[in-house]
Amino acid sequence: MNRNEIELKVQALVDGELTGSEAEALRQRINDDAGLQQLHVSLTQMRGLIADSELPRPLPESGDFYWNKIAETIEREESAGERAAPPTPASRWLLRWLTPLVGVSAVVLLLTLQQPTAPDLGIMLSGDHELELSSDEIDVMTYNTDDDSMSIVWLDYSMDIQKDYMELWLD
Amino acid sequence: MPAVPDYSTAEEPQLVNWAKGGDLQAFEELVSRYRERAYARAFSIMRNEDLAVDLSQNAWIKAWQRLAQFHGEASFPTWLNRIVTNLCLDELRRRKRARMDSIEEIEEATGPVENRMEIQEIDPMERLNREELRERIDAAMAKLSDNHRTVLVLYEYEQIEYKHIAEKMGTSIGTVMSRLFYARKKMAALLGETLKRDGLIE
Repeated sequence: MNRNEIELKVQALVDGELTGSEAEALRQRINDDAGLQQLHVSLTQMRGLIADSELPRPLPESGDFYWNKIAETIEREESAGERAAPPTPASRWLLRWLTPLVGVSAVVLLLTLQQPTAPDLGIMLSGDHELELSSDEIDVMTYNTDDDSMSIVWLDYSMDIQKDYMELWLD
Repeated sequence: MPAVPDYSTAEEPQLVNWAKGGDLQAFEELVSRYRERAYARAFSIMRNEDLAVDLSQNAWIKAWQRLAQFHGEASFPTWLNRIVTNLCLDELRRRKRARMDSIEEIEEATGPVENRMEIQEIDPMERLNREELRERIDAAMAKLSDNHRTVLVLYEYEQIEYKHIAEKMGTSIGTVMSRLFYARKKMAALLGETLKRDGLIE
């Protein structure tokens, strides 16, 4: 241990950060070293001076002005929080199960429409076919391309939709 | 019609309970009682009035949002001042990222402190009253670097152990010890200078 490390240990002793045996060994060393004794006294004195020396400090602005900013921020953040309130447990449950269901349905529909040979739907797909939806809760947008014989369907659904209401009609 | 609580005479735990229940007036009373304490702690660390006002106000806002986490292990102002301190440390970290280390910190890392600064024993209590001494200590604290002042505030005012200071400051215990040592020595030297200048010590 070099001198600097020993001095830091003396400080730790003054601060009560050393454990019993280590503290005892260091006390012995301090007793045998005038420089360390002086350091111990100096650090103890400095601790006594600084502890509890924080000055009370008046606010540079009025108490009302200070509080108003706090209150305004709290009220603004709380009203913003209310607007963005999380969904209720019931709607969360519905969303949890319906989301994958609708997602899978959309993928199946897409794959079906992408098959190179026309699927057995009883109708022929052509460039001007369109989708019709019986529910107001879902927005559908389609993109058809004759060149690639491909149709892409976007489903935009709300969380309130129920499975039974979702029927797609191909014209 | 329920009686309106008398906030100004209510005990602190009662005010805290009301505030936890969403009573903003109870919280306002807590702010009124401890705002200067929170501001003083922010100023002790930041040494800038505007920043100290902003950070202490932000601490009150955070305190309101986290009141449910306050269980009374420490007193309310102690809990609040920890929030103030944490916000100040965040601010110092943001600033530090945007600038180079100070020359003082570079010097600190180049060798033992004792090579450049003699240990100075001072005993000003005989010549100065407590208030005069606090003002001199405050003036000396203002001359320390951010890191040295912060470690001193955390240890002496917040009474946080080395290892927790290291966690808060994102550094090692060894660095905390070294900064604390350097800060105290510099404080001793600065106080010695001012007391000598005023003829209070030889």
